[in-house]
Amino acid sequence: MKHPSLRGRLRWLIVTMLVLVLLPLALYSFRRTTAEMEELSDGRLAQAAHTISSLIQRTGVRALIGNETLLVPVQKKSTLRSLGEVRTDESEVGFQVFNGQGQLLLGTANLSTLPSSAMDRSEFLDLKKAHHIWRVFTFVDKANDMVIRVADRYDTREEIVHALWLDHGLPFLFGLPVLALLVGWAVKRGLQPLTGLASALATREPGNREPITLDHSPLELQPVLAALNEQIERQENALERERRFSADVAHELRTPAASITLNLESAMATTDLAEIYDSIAGAHNSVRLLSRRIEQLLALAKLEANVASNQPATIDLLEIASDVIAELGPSIAGSGVALGLPQRQSPVLVQGYDAALAALLRNLLENAIRHVPRGGQVQLAIEQNAHETTLEVIDDGPGIPPERRHAVFARFHREASSRGDGYGLGLSIVQRVAWLHRASIELLDSPLGNGLRVRVAIPVGA
Amino acid sequence: MHIILIEDDQELGAAIRRALERLSYTVTWLLDGEGAVAAMRDETADLVLLDLGLPGKDGLDVLVEARRARIRTPVLILTARDAVQARVHGLDAGADDYLTKPFHLDELGARIRSLTRRMQGLADNRIEVGALCLDLATLEVTFRGQRVDLTRREFSLLQALMERAGRLVRRDFLESSLYGNDKIVGDSALDVIVHSLRRKLSFETIQNIRAFGYMIPREPQ
Repeated sequence: MKHPSLRGRLRWLIVTMLVLVLLPLALYSFRRTTAEMEELSDGRLAQAAHTISSLIQRTGVRALIGNETLLVPVQKKSTLRSLGEVRTDESEVGFQVFNGQGQLLLGTANLSTLPSSAMDRSEFLDLKKAHHIWRVFTFVDKANDMVIRVADRYDTREEIVHALWLDHGLPFLFGLPVLALLVGWAVKRGLQPLTGLASALATREPGNREPITLDHSPLELQPVLAALNEQIERQENALERERRFSADVAHELRTPAASITLNLESAMATTDLAEIYDSIAGAHNSVRLLSRRIEQLLALAKLEANVASNQPATIDLLEIASDVIAELGPSIAGSGVALGLPQRQSPVLVQGYDAALAALLRNLLENAIRHVPRGGQVQLAIEQNAHETTLEVIDDGPGIPPERRHAVFARFHREASSRGDGYGLGLSIVQRVAWLHRASIELLDSPLGNGLRVRVAIPVGA
Repeated sequence: MHIILIEDDQELGAAIRRALERLSYTVTWLLDGEGAVAAMRDETADLVLLDLGLPGKDGLDVLVEARRARIRTPVLILTARDAVQARVHGLDAGADDYLTKPFHLDELGARIRSLTRRMQGLADNRIEVGALCLDLATLEVTFRGQRVDLTRREFSLLQALMERAGRLVRRDFLESSLYGNDKIVGDSALDVIVHSLRRKLSFETIQNIRAFGYMIPREPQ
């Protein structure tokens, strides 16, 4: 696909505009000139008629009265030229003098075949003679009892108009391409900042986090630059999150892998049975931890895939809670922790993803159970009001000091008090699910002793 | 030789400690970064093994803080972060070497020996003082050409003294080198080990400077 060029577009728009405005102007001006020309020529005919009239009066009208018609010979163009005359075509202008009875007394030879016309009033007429149309002014000279006709040819007038056309139209025609070129150059100069932006983008190093800046960037480019820089920053942040996430995943997987390697190598290097036993037990624990983390990673991946391919549906949180509790049953029983369940019986409906919400609940409950000592208690509460649906997991475990609570949700952050199998991946799943449901997560003081109260609030209509 | 291990993973930490103790090192194991700088401050440790992904305080912060406090003890970083950038960061922050998880026991041992050699200015793993020769890689000790079997603590004490041959080594330094930072041993424990070492070598090999410390002279008979 050929991309439309902004430069070309602007150039053609400007040139078209110029033509659209200049052409009617030229036409108008041409018509005005033609009209003026007609007026001027007609005026000259009238003036010539009056001149002849007064000349005849001076020399005496009597001199003309006779039976003979006096014809003034007309010089041909070629003859004039040979005489070195500058202009003009005498054959294209002429006059006639008639007496009151319509008898031709005096006239130029070229008009001898001009058709007759009304002799009783002064007027302008168009008369056809041979191939030419003549403009004729008839002047009724009442004082001398004469009629004077003065005429010139229309084609002479047109020649002048054509000359005017060429003189003014041709430069315009030749000027147009030059104008287009100049407009092109001007547009190119005007769009220089755009080229600057393009080259700034083209020469940008991958991974460069600096915002794009242009010297003297025009007002119109500011929103583009701002949007571009915002996009770059968002992408960089997303990339940075991914980098940190993969570094954390690496740590969470490689540490138990290192432990397995070292423990097994230790076991192979000794003959001391107690030491072999310790090493193998250590390796075994690390294998368990490793597979749990792999499960969590797979759950996270599944969650992302599930959300990408499904629409949120109306689901009952209580039903999800009872499924999750049934699933966790054995580990709850084994932990010696008492689990308090929500009192409500009527469904608590929310818009969301059931698998995701189940993962959120499972992780919160597992975390609470893991951090509560044997004999402690964990309380699950689900409530709904007009604005939000809240889900709370309350425990009476060691809790997290308020000043460290904000750090807990960094992906893979582990609290110092939690050994080995920390919050890690579990909380990043919780956070991801909350984000999907536009829900907020708060870590609050527990009404049960020193423990923690995790409150997830899903806004209604999310 | 005394090594401080800072690793939050229970099993990995235990495995490293077991392995290093079998190589006759004394290991003080810390589970997080909080007390790490304090433990390094007296510089009695010969080496620090530092995990970067620590809960609470990050390993890199521990390293930077320790170097800022002018603690010169060599630091070997253990980490899962294998990106070049991460390694450059670690080394620039003042680490002496870098080992990526998962690693093998042999490599960990070799790198510890290499750092120790660099620290002592040794060309190989053998320390020789007169008729005494101690091999850090094979943990073998020979005296006048004869192989001598030593316990882990005897080996550690001999190594600490041979590395500083000709100089008086203070009791408290030797104790921390043998028992790490947990000073729950009686005053006589050190003397007991010196006594058994003298029996296996010769009495004159280790000289006693009146309850102040011990010394191996440059040319023991």
